[in-house]
Amino acid sequence: MTRKAQARLGVLLVVPLLLLVGIFLVFPMINAVYYVFVDFNGINPAPPWVGLANFTELAQDPDVWAAFSNNIIWIVLGTVGPIVLGLALALLLWHVERGSVFYRVAFFLPYILPQVAVGVVWGWIYEPSRGWLNKVLETVGLGGLTTGWLGNPDTALYAVLATAVWVTLGFVFVILLSALKGVDMDIVDAARLDGANGWQRLVHIVLPQIMPVFLMVTTITLLGGFSVFDIIFVMTGGGPAGASEVLGTLAYSSAFQLNRISYGTALALVITLLAIPFAVWLNRLQRRVSLEGTS
Amino acid sequence: MAATTTTPAPARTAPLQAELTPRARARLAGKHALLIALSLLMLFPLVLTISTAFKTEQDVQVNPFGLFSSFSTENIVTAWTVGGFGGYVLNSLLLTVPSTLIVLALSTMGGYAFARLPFPGRDLAFYVVVVGLLVPFFTYMIPLYFQLRGMGMLDSLVGVNLVLASTGVSFGTFFMRAFFSDLPVELAQAARMDGASEWQIFTRVMLPLVTSGMGALAVFTFLQNWNNFLVPLIYMPGGDYRPLTTGLYLFLGGRSIDIGPLAAGTLITILPVVVLFVALQKQVTQGLVSGAVKG
Repeated sequence: MTRKAQARLGVLLVVPLLLLVGIFLVFPMINAVYYVFVDFNGINPAPPWVGLANFTELAQDPDVWAAFSNNIIWIVLGTVGPIVLGLALALLLWHVERGSVFYRVAFFLPYILPQVAVGVVWGWIYEPSRGWLNKVLETVGLGGLTTGWLGNPDTALYAVLATAVWVTLGFVFVILLSALKGVDMDIVDAARLDGANGWQRLVHIVLPQIMPVFLMVTTITLLGGFSVFDIIFVMTGGGPAGASEVLGTLAYSSAFQLNRISYGTALALVITLLAIPFAVWLNRLQRRVSLEGTS
Repeated sequence: MAATTTTPAPARTAPLQAELTPRARARLAGKHALLIALSLLMLFPLVLTISTAFKTEQDVQVNPFGLFSSFSTENIVTAWTVGGFGGYVLNSLLLTVPSTLIVLALSTMGGYAFARLPFPGRDLAFYVVVVGLLVPFFTYMIPLYFQLRGMGMLDSLVGVNLVLASTGVSFGTFFMRAFFSDLPVELAQAARMDGASEWQIFTRVMLPLVTSGMGALAVFTFLQNWNNFLVPLIYMPGGDYRPLTTGLYLFLGGRSIDIGPLAAGTLITILPVVVLFVALQKQVTQGLVSGAVKG
C-alpha cells in the first residue's frame, strides 16, 4: 500500500522534470546527432545526407586547427593560472581571521559578474592610448611593451586569457580555502617541529590532504576551457583575423553567421567529445569526495 | 549537507594579538598589507566602472578613465532612458525570476522523488536528467534554435524561460537529491505511522528541512540565469525581450565610443548581482562550494 502510494507520488513529481528535460535537452541532442550527418543550411526541409563529410572537412580546415590550438593554450594557461594564484591566495588567507569576509568577497566577486560586463571594463583597461595597463607600463619605465592589447594578433588571446584568470581565480580560491579548513593541523605542526620548512609542509602534508578537492577544482576549470565562449566573443569576437578564435566562437559563427548549420553542429559536437573523458573523470572524483565527506 | 568542505574541522582560533611575538605580529601586518593590495587589484575594474559611470560628459571625453575626477548622474539617466537599460532591467527580471522558480520547483520535486520515492524506471529517469551535467549546452544549442523556431518559441518569454530552466534543472535535481538523501529515514516513517499521506510527508515534513538547500539553489540559479548571455543571444534574435547582458553587448557594438553611458549601463547590469552577492555571500559561496563538491 505504502509502496504503491510512494511510486505514484514519485512518478507525479518526476513527470514535469522529465518533460522539460526531454523537450529542451534530450530532443535537441538527438537532433544534433542527425544534423552532423546531413548538410543543413537552415532552410531546406529535407537536407541531403552527407555521411561523415562534415567531419572530414573539419579535419582539413586550417581554421579549426588554429582554433583548436587556441583552445589548448586556453585550457593549459586558463587552468594553471587560476590554480596557482587561487592556491597562493587561499594559503595566504588560511589562518587570517580579521577581515577574512572582506577578502573573500573581493577575491570571489569577479567570478559572479556577467562576463559581458567584465569584457567591457577590461576592454578599457587594455585600450591602447588611454587604458590603465599601458599607462602603468609607461609609468614604471616599460613603455616599450605598450600595445593595443586586444587589437594586436600576438597579444589578443593572452589579454582575454588574463581577464579569464582574473575571473576564475576567485572560484578556485574559495573552494581551496574551504578545503584547507579541513586540514589536520596537528600533523602540520608535528612536521614543523620535525624541521620541515614551509614548502615541504605544503607539498608533503597539506597538498595530499586536499588532493581530491584540488584535482576536482582543476578538472572543473579545465572543462570550462573547452566550452569558453562569452568572454572571447565579447572582447575580440575571435579576432583580430582569427587570432583569438576558439572552437566555441567558430561553431557559433559557422552556424549563425554563415548559415552552415551542420558544420557548426559538428564543431560543437567535437568540443563535447573532446571534453567527455575529463567530465567522466570529474564525476568519479566528485563521487569520491562526497563519499569521504559523508563517512 | 555532509560534504567535506561545508563542515570544516573546528579551525584553530588565532592567538590574540597581545600574545604574538613582535616578529609574528610584523608578519601578520605584512600579510594584511599584501591582502589589501591584492583585494584592491581585484576590485579595480569595479572601481573603474563606478568612476566612469558618474563622470560629467565633458570629463568623459577628455579623461574617461581617470578615477573620480568629476561627479554627475547624467550617464546613468542616458543609459536608463536613451540606452534602453530601464527596459533591459525589466526584461532580465522577466527572464530570470520565472526560470529560477521553475528550476527550484522541478529540482525539489525531482530531487525528493529520486532520493526517497522508489518507482519503476527511476534509475533510468535519473540518468536522463543528469545527462545535462555531462553534455555542455554547446552540443545542442544549434538544433535547439531550429526546434524553437518550429515551435514558434523564438523571441518568446515562455520559450526562453523554459530553455533557461532546462539548463539549470540537471544540477538542481542532483543538488536537491543530496539534501533529501541526508535526512533521516525515521522522520518519514514516524509521520506515516501517524497517518500522514505521502504528499503530506513531502510538503509538511521533508520540505521544511531542506529550505537552506533551496535557498542556496535559488541564489545560485538566479545569478546563473541573470548572467546568461548565450541563451538570449541565440534565442532572442528579434530583441523584443532583450535582457541586460545582450543589451549591454548591443550597446557596446553600436555606441562603444559613448564611454560614459556604456559605463553606466555596465554598472546597471552588474549592480543587482553585486548587491545580491554581498548581502548573501555566505549562501552564495557555500552553495557553490558544496555544489561543486557534491554536484
